[in-house]
Amino acid sequence: MKIGNIRLTKSTKFLILLLTSLLVAAANAAIFYNLTMQPQVSVSSPALKFSTAPDEPSGSTVNDAWCRLTAKSYPNATLTYEQAVYINNTDGGSAHSFRLRHVSITPANGTSGVGNWTSIKFLVYNSSGYVFSLNYTVSGTDWILEPSVGETSYYSIPLDTGWWIRLETLSPATAATGNVCEIQIEVDVQE
Amino acid sequence: MLLPELFAMLSSDLFLLLSLLTCLLEDRFPKAVPYVYQMAAIMGFGHLLVSRMFLTVFDEHMRFWYNLFYLAVALANVVAINLYLAVSKKKWTLAKVWSSAVTFPTVFISVLFVYNYGYLQGETFPLLILNLILVLLLVILGISFSVLLGPKLLEKWRR
Repeated sequence: MKIGNIRLTKSTKFLILLLTSLLVAAANAAIFYNLTMQPQVSVSSPALKFSTAPDEPSGSTVNDAWCRLTAKSYPNATLTYEQAVYINNTDGGSAHSFRLRHVSITPANGTSGVGNWTSIKFLVYNSSGYVFSLNYTVSGTDWILEPSVGETSYYSIPLDTGWWIRLETLSPATAATGNVCEIQIEVDVQE
Repeated sequence: MLLPELFAMLSSDLFLLLSLLTCLLEDRFPKAVPYVYQMAAIMGFGHLLVSRMFLTVFDEHMRFWYNLFYLAVALANVVAINLYLAVSKKKWTLAKVWSSAVTFPTVFISVLFVYNYGYLQGETFPLLILNLILVLLLVILGISFSVLLGPKLLEKWRR
């Protein structure tokens, strides 16, 4: 029997067409859903950027999105880097809010090395003066954070404006040279 | 945000609808018609696949126009069947039903989507040309309605 001789009733034809239609429609919908869910991540420059400032500690690295400050601390004397690093809002269209958030610190709490510092303060200034700060002070062998939650509130930096971080360090008279403290702080920016 | 591929998906679904309807009305159409429309719908699927593969190569402007062309072909088929039933087969009642149940809703929905897309992408696409095309489509649709709803008018024109 030849395939060409097979006679299909109207209902059979309709059923076959209906099934293939459902298949094609479902496949179309799946492709379209896949298209709409296609992530589009474009690389762009951050709105808030770090930039070098006049009193940047020597040996520091400052990039647009991150910076590493290699500051010193003197026993029994406060060392101030008046303008350690700039934080610039390069977005000419709108203001952006940012905050400082503590991530990690070494030597860790409970270790004797902590006693080599009295305080390390990151103070944010603008042209009108002090705005906010994230401070590390030592009590015994523990770091005490201020604010205690480990993060500041958000502060809005106007468009095309530069603020700066003033870094203050102080060690006790008994501090031993050669000790290194590493602090990691995130700058959270609300886009 | 609407993607231009929406038009391809809509067109493919329109072809599937036409395939099923022409199968139901098989004694009024050539036997191959439902299968031709199924093939056209599968072409729409291929259309979407190509769009997905070359999403980063083709810009949105180009994707919009080739998807709109496919939609125009689908709508032309809907209208052509309407005219075929009315003029060639002289099935006035069926043509009226087709007009109100298939032609009008599909054209209306398509116009709505295209206009909305053109409005949202107003800065990128030439809205004026789009508006002219839509007005033209509506005029053709209006004329079709008046012809289909009043067969006597057609008779008058013939004389």
